Amino acid sequence: MADAAIRISSMDKYFGNFHVLKNIGLQVDKGERIVICGPSGSGKSTLIRCINRLEEHQRGTINVLGTQLDDDLSHIDRIRREVGMVFQHFNLFPHLTVLENLTLAPMLVRKTPRAEAEEKAMAYLERVRIPEKAGDYPGELSGGQQQRVAIARALCMEPEVMLFDEPTSALDPEMINEVLEVMRELAEGGMTMLCATHEMGFARQVADRVVFMSDGEIVEQAPPAEFFDAPKHDRTRAFLEKILDR
Amino acid sequence: MQTTIADSLPPQRALGKRLRKRFFRTPLDVVITVASVVVAAYVLIPLLDWTIFSAVWSAPEGDASVCHGVEGACWAVIEARWRLIIFGLFPYEEQWRSSIALVVLVVTAILSCVPAFWTVLRLSLLWIVGFAAFYLLMRGGIFGLSVIEPSEWGGLTLTVFFFAAGILIGMPMAICFAMMRRSTLPVISRTMAVIIDGVRSLPLVTILFTAALILPFVLPGWLQGDKIWRVVFGFALFFAAYQAEVIRSGIQAIPSGQDEAAKALGMGYFHRVTRITLPQAFRNALPTTINQFVITFKETSLIVIIGFFDVLASGNAAYGTGEWSFAYVEVYIFVALIYFVFVFSLSLYGAYLERRMRVGQH
Repeated sequence: MADAAIRISSMDKYFGNFHVLKNIGLQVDKGERIVICGPSGSGKSTLIRCINRLEEHQRGTINVLGTQLDDDLSHIDRIRREVGMVFQHFNLFPHLTVLENLTLAPMLVRKTPRAEAEEKAMAYLERVRIPEKAGDYPGELSGGQQQRVAIARALCMEPEVMLFDEPTSALDPEMINEVLEVMRELAEGGMTMLCATHEMGFARQVADRVVFMSDGEIVEQAPPAEFFDAPKHDRTRAFLEKILDR
Repeated sequence: MQTTIADSLPPQRALGKRLRKRFFRTPLDVVITVASVVVAAYVLIPLLDWTIFSAVWSAPEGDASVCHGVEGACWAVIEARWRLIIFGLFPYEEQWRSSIALVVLVVTAILSCVPAFWTVLRLSLLWIVGFAAFYLLMRGGIFGLSVIEPSEWGGLTLTVFFFAAGILIGMPMAICFAMMRRSTLPVISRTMAVIIDGVRSLPLVTILFTAALILPFVLPGWLQGDKIWRVVFGFALFFAAYQAEVIRSGIQAIPSGQDEAAKALGMGYFHRVTRITLPQAFRNALPTTINQFVITFKETSLIVIIGFFDVLASGNAAYGTGEWSFAYVEVYIFVALIYFVFVFSLSLYGAYLERRMRVGQH
């Protein structure tokens, strides 16, 4: 109980009258790596975006690192500071250099002095293996490089939890691996991760648990070996057949 | 094998060949080229003759009679009346103050175009100092300077003052308007929409009239201030209503992921707006913003209807004294040149900014 990083219980989310997320219950322990998969439109992105309040849920509770996610702005701020996020389309700030992208939030939000923020930013750029791009603008980078910068940007806030919203879906095939490699290293470092992705190889190797969603519901969750080799539900089986037999 | 720089450049054609290719390739080309040259000569030669060769450049002791019976332009009118055009009705012995004030404003404007000054603190300091210096010089009343009321200000100095003050007060208003217009609270966004559309549907003349003549009846005395400030405020309001929509269009062009990424990093509303949204919005809206500046600069000429003598009105006065009344074309050309210098500098600066910002775009 004390080790839960994220606790979601009986959570519902609507877009207007459309019931996007239905009675979601999910617990993520500290250091746990969760991969969420499912057909497009199944609500995986929305679920992830609810955790740091990019989307508002209508019923149920979400508790992140001991803080209840409600309308209290200080709660939202606290959660966002501790939860990093990586987007499908990178969302780097195009008017800032790579280094400025990395140092902006630590300096403004954490009040880190510039020198220290830059030092840390360079360390994370080393870790994602593009320190030489520090002075470049995001527009000058390839998709894979941009996504690695985006990961480093999130890490510069030293978050306790990282959310990944289909981080490789917008990449050219030859760039997917460099990003997955960085994510794998992050997982090995013990980061609590929640990742919506279609990369089943990554799920099998890295995840502690795979969560399958369909039509806004969590249909099944199991460790990868069990999930891939002995899926319990028909919907899971149908999905795996489609995605694995390509 | 060594390659020289010349080898790596695309081959240059000889000038003669290039001319032939561009202007004399077909018989039709030849006809068009020759016709164009003839027409150009027909227009340009008399024009050059009028403006330069047959022109009278100076009138000893300001006597207009030197221009009588002359074919060319009478630039002597400028020599005799330029002080009126630049300084308006500002007292003659004190015009050095107006000229320094004008230089102060222009230098302040130029400095604020330099990227090194682009922080809120530096820009506000710069303009507070600039305007304070301008106001002290123009109005006087301390350091032994005689008091000169704003009603006596005029000419180019007044035009530049209205332009600078209007934009300086109008721009923060425009930013507030744009952000309020985008508020998620309908009460705020709808109200702002009505205000913006209301101001935009009024002709500037009406707003200036209201500020100058009607507000004094409505406002309590302590809030009225000098007429010049009420008019500047009206001017700023008009600019802000248009500029708010320009900024809003710039914001609209930013992908929603930008704000989301900033939110996910824990940045608050103020930081998201000032560090992420506005810098990108101004980039997107740069050409339209420069356009708005140009329009605003020329609209300053409307202040004449409420009794201020801007550079155009002063120009009218410059030839309106009977003696020089024949030389209105020369005066208008001179005033047009002044406008051109300012407007062209603005668009050059806009082009420079676009080049500079292209680095950061994808």
